[in-house]
Amino acid sequence: MRNISLILKQFSRSVLLVAGLAVCGFNAHAQADAAKGEALFKAKCTACHKIDVRMTGPALGPQLTQETDDAYLTKWIQNNQALIAAKNPKALKIYNEFNQAGMTVFSELSDADVGNIITYVRTEWKKMQDEKAKAPAGGSAAAEDQGPSSVIIWGLLGVIVIAFIVILVLNKVIATLERLLLNKGGVALIEESEDDEAAKAKANRAEVFKKLIKNKKLVFFVVLCGTIALGSWQWVTMWNTNVHQGYQPVQPIKYSHELHAGAMKIECQYCHVAAFKGKNASIPSLNICMNCHKSVKTESPEIHKIYDALGYDPNTAKYDSTKAKPIQWVRIHNLPDLAYFNHSQHVKVGGIKCQTCHGQVQEMKEVYQYSPLTMKWCIQCHRRTEVNGKGNAYYDSILAAHDKIKKGEKVTAAVLGGIECAKCHY
Amino acid sequence: MDSNKKYWKGLEELNNTPEFVEKNRHEFAEPIPIEEVLSGGGLSAKTPRRDFLKALGFGVGAVTLAACQKVPVHKSIPYLIKPEEVTPGVANYYTSTFEGNAILVKTREGRPIKVEGNPNDLLSKGGLSAQAQASVLDLYDNTRVQDPMMDGSTTGWAQVDAFVKSELAAVAAAGKTISIVSATKSSPSTQAVIADFITKYPTAKHVTYDAVSYTGIIKANQNSFGKAVLPHYNFDKADVIVSFGADFLGTWISGEEFTRQYVSNRNGKSLEEKKMSRHIQFESGMSMTGTNADARIAIKPSEEGPALVNLYNAISGTTLPGSKKLTTPNADKVITLVAKELVAAKGRALVVCGSNDVATQVLVNAINSLLGSYGTTIDLDNPSRQYAGNDSDIVDFIAAAKRGDVGAAIFLDANPAYDYHSADAVKEALKKVRLKVSFSDHADETATLCNVVAPNHHYLESWGDDSVIEGYYTVMQPAINPVYNTRQAETSLLIWSDNAVKDYYTYVRNNWNTKLLAIGGLSGQAGWETLLQTGFVKAAPKTAGTYSFNLDLNAVAQTILSQSAKLAEGVSVDGKKFELQVYQNNAMRDGKRANNPWLQELPDPVSKVTWDNFVAMSATDVKKLGLDEFGVVKVTANGYTVELPVLSQPGQAQGTISIAVGYGRTAAGKVGNNVGKNAYPFYSFRNGTFQTTAQAALEVTGDVFPLSQTQTHHSYEGRNVIRETSFAEYKKNPASGKHEEGEHKKYDLWENTNNDRIHARPVYDWVMAIDLNACTGCGACVVACSAENNVPVVGKEEVGRRREMHWIRIDRYYSFNNDSVHGGVTKEKEIDKLDNYDNVTVVHQPMLCQHCDHAPCETVCPVLATVHSSEGLNQMAYNRCVGTRYCANNCPYKVRRFNWFNYWNDSRFDNYLNNEHTQLVLNPDVTTRFRGVMEKCSMCVQRIQAGKLKAKMEKRPLQDGEIKMACQQTCSANAIIFGNRNDKNSEVYKALQSERTYYVLEELNVQPGIGYQVKVRNTGTETTLA
Repeated sequence: MRNISLILKQFSRSVLLVAGLAVCGFNAHAQADAAKGEALFKAKCTACHKIDVRMTGPALGPQLTQETDDAYLTKWIQNNQALIAAKNPKALKIYNEFNQAGMTVFSELSDADVGNIITYVRTEWKKMQDEKAKAPAGGSAAAEDQGPSSVIIWGLLGVIVIAFIVILVLNKVIATLERLLLNKGGVALIEESEDDEAAKAKANRAEVFKKLIKNKKLVFFVVLCGTIALGSWQWVTMWNTNVHQGYQPVQPIKYSHELHAGAMKIECQYCHVAAFKGKNASIPSLNICMNCHKSVKTESPEIHKIYDALGYDPNTAKYDSTKAKPIQWVRIHNLPDLAYFNHSQHVKVGGIKCQTCHGQVQEMKEVYQYSPLTMKWCIQCHRRTEVNGKGNAYYDSILAAHDKIKKGEKVTAAVLGGIECAKCHY
Repeated sequence: MDSNKKYWKGLEELNNTPEFVEKNRHEFAEPIPIEEVLSGGGLSAKTPRRDFLKALGFGVGAVTLAACQKVPVHKSIPYLIKPEEVTPGVANYYTSTFEGNAILVKTREGRPIKVEGNPNDLLSKGGLSAQAQASVLDLYDNTRVQDPMMDGSTTGWAQVDAFVKSELAAVAAAGKTISIVSATKSSPSTQAVIADFITKYPTAKHVTYDAVSYTGIIKANQNSFGKAVLPHYNFDKADVIVSFGADFLGTWISGEEFTRQYVSNRNGKSLEEKKMSRHIQFESGMSMTGTNADARIAIKPSEEGPALVNLYNAISGTTLPGSKKLTTPNADKVITLVAKELVAAKGRALVVCGSNDVATQVLVNAINSLLGSYGTTIDLDNPSRQYAGNDSDIVDFIAAAKRGDVGAAIFLDANPAYDYHSADAVKEALKKVRLKVSFSDHADETATLCNVVAPNHHYLESWGDDSVIEGYYTVMQPAINPVYNTRQAETSLLIWSDNAVKDYYTYVRNNWNTKLLAIGGLSGQAGWETLLQTGFVKAAPKTAGTYSFNLDLNAVAQTILSQSAKLAEGVSVDGKKFELQVYQNNAMRDGKRANNPWLQELPDPVSKVTWDNFVAMSATDVKKLGLDEFGVVKVTANGYTVELPVLSQPGQAQGTISIAVGYGRTAAGKVGNNVGKNAYPFYSFRNGTFQTTAQAALEVTGDVFPLSQTQTHHSYEGRNVIRETSFAEYKKNPASGKHEEGEHKKYDLWENTNNDRIHARPVYDWVMAIDLNACTGCGACVVACSAENNVPVVGKEEVGRRREMHWIRIDRYYSFNNDSVHGGVTKEKEIDKLDNYDNVTVVHQPMLCQHCDHAPCETVCPVLATVHSSEGLNQMAYNRCVGTRYCANNCPYKVRRFNWFNYWNDSRFDNYLNNEHTQLVLNPDVTTRFRGVMEKCSMCVQRIQAGKLKAKMEKRPLQDGEIKMACQQTCSANAIIFGNRNDKNSEVYKALQSERTYYVLEELNVQPGIGYQVKVRNTGTETTLA
């Protein structure tokens, strides 16, 4: 029997081993394919496609699972334009469905590459489907998974509160007990004497105070100090009337420059397109946001504010201009109407960094007014900043002319008339 | 020339009337009533001191409280999806067309804010009229019809279409006429739409009706040469121009184009080549063209015909039957001299006449034929299409309507209920018309009589095209989406005629694709896109053929002379019977744009009157009638009577009066309503055309109606600011007119100028050169400046208080034509026998801030609000100004303007920007000035800065001519040149080097930055006409 059991054991072991190896082998084979496919998919396809959600192009999971003709798919992926040109009905159908926006041609992908991608997408989609199928069974668990977290938090909070109350109550009890003990020991007398002393001290203080009030010099001194303090406070306040340095209004969308300009290192002018072209730096229009946010962070409620503003439906990728309503940002930098300021002059011609006036925007979660934006501030900079005339033929003759007048001196913006009235006021 | 020649702006200045002297003693016409408040009267005054203190206390408290509030939150709303071509803060320009001129429309963030000429425009090469400059304001007129209307109530387009279509079908079924009454439509696509409409409704008829018509010329050409066209005149090819009442530099056919042509023979370049054309004007009222003439002879309207007959006789050497001598002294001698000059310039001569009488125009044709003008100065083969109206058509239309033969009338840019000579006939006739549709964008006089108002787009919202000269096709493209619920008239016609193409844009495209693009060698989509870039296509002009006149003139002369006799019959000043001439003035023209405040406030080039029309009368006649200044008279002619104030107009022929049309609108909008009186009823339909002359009976009412006339608002206290010479003198000595006012010791305010950084002009020295010989005084620059610099409109009353705000004004100076050297009409100086006031010459001088290097205004400003820049500009910092007005007081040129009110936001100035919609026309690069600050010409500093920035961004030196002032850009005569004096190759430097250059009030040593060039008048030699 023991033998038998041994044999059985060995047999089952070998069977298991073989089966395991076989499974492993099969898995290994599939994995190799899918891994290659995954790399290719991420490199070539993710700009326009997701597996489960429609983006610029269709959701690939269901699309590739429904379409079983791999030869057609390979042709389509390698050169969809040829298929369309050949008026393949399937190709035309999808082409028209997506507003005749042609897909990029991937002639560099071999048949095997395409096969790998298809395999990856299908397996990935299947996994997703399976997970979805599991979901109802494990639904409650998942819900509990989410639930406990808040229950725990509330629970903890409750415990803390209760503990706090207990401490308070205990404290009270201890205090009462102590007082009882003290009362028994005739400590009340000490308290009385203490009261007496306090009254005396009070009377003393009042007298001193009376004396001080009668001291005219002192009173004069105090009044003088007060006047000076109030006066200078008023002076400073008035100087700063309408200066809103540090102004940080709440914006309709929680947009973080720290994330975009800092962590993601997106160039300022990618969004603020006009800064290099004209007077206004311009708040980016929403189509610029959509360049990325059509596919990035599509689930975020903040991004959905953009979608709502545009009347964009992420599920159909369609815009409904009737539902569009513009976003009303709160302007942070308010230059008065009487001052003309041109971004391009400073940024493009002058080569001044945005941060010089706007501060380290790439570190700001919410932007605030960094500079005072006063005329003094403008002029100070114009007095100190040397004109950036190198390599700009416009300045050649101008700088030469100024060199003649004042040899060797730094040619600042002010020297070229940059602090004259009509440079900014007209 | 005689340096003692006296120049004067108005009779009050010439005669030094007490009112004039009193008003000019003060810088501002009305002082602030400060003494009333502070004087002993105190409590009894309007604002007693205690009340004042209470108000002050409350005011301070309120302001303090208000100041505690946080700053208002400014919202910034970006585009949802930004159009690719729009960059906020950067202007875009689109080609389009205005009345046939190729233009560029400047838009900012999608709204048009300024119209500029297209520099390649065939007609005016970048110049634009005041009307074109002002047209952008009409777009933002909030009194436009905002929705389609049926029977006076707002409705939708679907209802309108259903109603009109069913009505048209019913009318067509009944066999009644459908009349489309329109002003001349030179647009080929519009013409095609109307033709298609007529194909669909065969009973339809197109009636072309021009309020101011040129039927006389068209019919005369039909008669003389078998070509019913308005010829294309070439004033640039004419050495001798004789005009009989044709205001060809202003209102006649194509003023801007003719100005460019005319000035090309009289500007600095031409003078340097010792060439100058000669221009003789015969007219009764002083027109802008008359002010520019080398010799101007005031004749009565009734003498125009006989004068032409006599001129024909003198040129041809024959005598037409019935010829007789003219009554105006010397006129006959003048005619003989003129004839001699014309004959001498055969082939380079041109005679034009402003009359709309066929017979008169036939005679003019005969004269031009004798002078060999056809093929040279007159081109019948590349005709003008600006006016094609046939006067008898509208008369027939009204007669047919009265008979009940017209079932439907559709009005497109036509307003006969206002501008037809008998509005009552129109009203009566329209009662019998079943369907009346108006495409007017305002509920105007005709539209209020219509069942349906289908408001048309403004031209800046429209697609379209135009072709005002044979072979020249311009394209019109919208620069903004329709502001209101309007629809282009052509689209409406396409829909109502069930055209296969219902969208006018497609229709225009088709028309261009099939016919017009090929003219410019273009085709397809690429061709269309090129067209939208260039704005026009142009075929090679046909060779202008020579035409000779071979008809018998006896009957023509008969007609002319009998008409003249009729007009002159019984006219006498004592009997208060005058010959009346109805004319168009340069700002209001035919009155279609009466609701435009920029045009209403533009002073007339001659009379300098704003916001009104009037009866122009010779000063001698005014005296004879015993009238006060602006005394009101009742004028009755053709059974129609108006009461209008009389203006003494130097140069007006005695025994005549002139009244401008274009005023007296009753349904133009809040700006134009009831401004002046309607003069159209003085027109009459005679010999198949509308005639502008009549016999008028006058009655003095004894009332006075003050006109807001700007002529003497800015006084130099008699200092002589005009320099003038004759062409003969100029040829001898180009500097002849300059006569220095003696040597003056020159001081300099600033020591060490060359090394001082502040007062040196190391790089730029912005200056201007203005050629008095090129400036015709039209005033387009004034409107262009208002549009560019947000210059407010102040209205009639404030102009009357001398508070007009224009940064540039055109001073018009009269002088007697009695100088000792060339006095008189002939060497016998018989002209002296004429009353002086009838024989005056005129010089126009644009006057704006001179940007003096030693500016008197700068030194008196207590707060340094006005200071000098290192580029030679006199800067004005509005926010520093506290309104002491010392600067205005100290300015010798009187070019500073004070803001008495917040004109852009004050209910008292309701006719200008006082609503958010109209404010969209403001130039966002220029601050709107607040009450209590001074302003003046900034030398378009925003343009200078923008030009420099453009060069910097493109990393290249600034080029000469790249920066243009608004006034310079719109000037068809190129009278204004702006540039950098430090650049020795610049146009302005060269212009200022001219011997003719002088500086106004140079003797004050204020060192002005604007040089003027001496006016040269081609007065004749001793054997010719003065």
